Amino acid sequence: MSRRRVTFPHMGEYWIAFETLVELLGAQAVVPPRMTRHTLEAGAHVSPEFVCVPFKYNMGNFLEALEGGIDVIVQAGGGCRFGYYGEVQEAILRDMGYDFDLVNLVETTNLPMLVRELRRIQPGASYPRAVKAFLIAYRQAQAIEAVEDFVRKNVGFAVDRGAIDRVTARFLRELRGARTLRAVRDLRSTTLAALGAIPLAKPENPLRVGVVGELYVLMEPFANHNIERRLAESGVEVHRFVTLTSLIEHGLAGRTFVRKTIAAAGPWLEFHLGADATESVAKTWELMNEGFDGMVHVKPFGCMPEVSAMSVLQRISREYTFPIMFMSYDAQTAEAGVDTRVEAFCDMLQMRRRRQSGA
Amino acid sequence: MTEGRRIGLPRSLLYHTFHSLWTTFFEELGWRTVTSPPTNRRVLERGVALAVDESCLPMKVFLGHVESLRGHCDAVFVPRIESLNETEHVCAKFMGAYDIVRNTMPDLPLVTYDVDAANGVQERASMLALARELGAGPLVARRAYARAKAAQRAHDLEMVRLQESLLDVGSAERDHTRILVVGHSYNLADELIGKPILEFLRSLDVEVVTSAEVDKPQARALSKRLSPSIKWTYNKELLGAVELYREVVDGIILVVTFPCGPDSLMAELCQRRVEDVPVATLIIDELQAEAGMRTRLESFVDIIEAKRHAAHKAEVEA
Repeated sequence: MSRRRVTFPHMGEYWIAFETLVELLGAQAVVPPRMTRHTLEAGAHVSPEFVCVPFKYNMGNFLEALEGGIDVIVQAGGGCRFGYYGEVQEAILRDMGYDFDLVNLVETTNLPMLVRELRRIQPGASYPRAVKAFLIAYRQAQAIEAVEDFVRKNVGFAVDRGAIDRVTARFLRELRGARTLRAVRDLRSTTLAALGAIPLAKPENPLRVGVVGELYVLMEPFANHNIERRLAESGVEVHRFVTLTSLIEHGLAGRTFVRKTIAAAGPWLEFHLGADATESVAKTWELMNEGFDGMVHVKPFGCMPEVSAMSVLQRISREYTFPIMFMSYDAQTAEAGVDTRVEAFCDMLQMRRRRQSGA
Repeated sequence: MTEGRRIGLPRSLLYHTFHSLWTTFFEELGWRTVTSPPTNRRVLERGVALAVDESCLPMKVFLGHVESLRGHCDAVFVPRIESLNETEHVCAKFMGAYDIVRNTMPDLPLVTYDVDAANGVQERASMLALARELGAGPLVARRAYARAKAAQRAHDLEMVRLQESLLDVGSAERDHTRILVVGHSYNLADELIGKPILEFLRSLDVEVVTSAEVDKPQARALSKRLSPSIKWTYNKELLGAVELYREVVDGIILVVTFPCGPDSLMAELCQRRVEDVPVATLIIDELQAEAGMRTRLESFVDIIEAKRHAAHKAEVEA
């Protein structure tokens, strides 16, 4: 079988791992162009009006990639309406005259199933080959997560921010070529060492903020208007726990993870709220008790599981006077508004700190 | 507790589907049931004030109903439902309803039961546990559950029978335009959301068939023809109603409340895949102006009536 041309939606820098996965399966990856306003506008134009914004971004990615000719679109799923995206997106694109195969990873609940689905991307790819492709792509994703975690926690305190950005850019460039387990491991450790060597002017007790919410808007800086970076640059150590590999692991752990998360949410939840919402509550409760300065909750406008979480988070915020900033994104959200709110939030956290140390 | 023993039922969300089950169950256990009044502006306004801004309209209405039961009962009943069978699930608001109410109105006593059949939490076991919590012995509990299920089944059958008797009249001999109104039971049966739509259509001399009175298992099975991968039980019923009736109606109206995620996707698919019958989507929000709704319905009815007459004329001439 000839090499199939395969595309997928963007999410942060994970496109590198998706590209590796597709190419190690023997297919040809067609990475959608970098997101711009045009991506969102094109996607929103063909999407149902009040579907959540990740759907619109995905559609924009597909439309831009389809221009170059595509055989396969890969779509994943989640615990909410994300799970239904694939079929509706396929219907819309087919009505527009595009022809392609959709590989929808939504039904996969265990690793063998996932590997079997992956082999549909490039028929003829052997089982061992698919397992190997998945493992290497997975390690790449973890490497991206480790680097980004360091950046979130430290970039606000770097004496020379450019130094962190240069190391990160080189890492991402080289990761595309690191397609063995060993190469990924080596690149990861040299990058973390290089980042660790960059001088920081970090106070002993920096402001700490946790970021929780819906997975896509959380992990796609273009969709959340770079909120983590803006927070970090305001002199905050930013902590985020939802990552692609954490989601895969939690998904595989199934109910065990759900039960643990409900317990971690303390007295606030008796049941699972769906998707990432239970974790949004649990993390907020844990971090508040650990002495974090505040939380930021992000979601697409109308995201039901996270709206449920908000009713709980608003109560926690009220009863403990614990700062939580709620960010809701749709296709119209303006970048400037996000900037102003982050600035005001960080100023408020600084003031609280000063008041507390003065008292 | 001798004087009290009153359970409050919010007339909202799944009450419109399960009122026979719940009312019979609590009454068989020796509790009186108090149901909140049909939705009115005041109930909605209280709900809007209590809810997170971005909540969907039915959730706002629901919170208004819960609040309106305060002081009229010993505890308000708010079930928690994630999945009713092994392969489907329901909208996330039914998963969150109990914890949302608990955190929005912390001082209000609640009772609940949990159904998550896909993960082994069955309705029967959960309802029996609730009966125990309410002080019933095992025999009374089991009898109450059996009678409640029987009452619910009888009610569902009756609804289906009513609808079918209406549809018995074939399209050849009927002189009224027939429209299928598709929407969640909690929207169509709501005094403020769905009732005005159904009443207005009837005032235009339209024969109204709704998705609320379909044979549910049959509808869910049929939904696969329109959408093989949809997983929400109630959306499957709506799609199944479309599939079941599309050949015997002149038009279909999808009633969607803002900003319902499942419905927005389902409506999109319906508009694309149902080509033989005109389909209109009506979006309702809390600021809904009745005049706008009427204008839209009127023009839709005009269009399909014109189409019907044209077809009739063509038939006569042929």
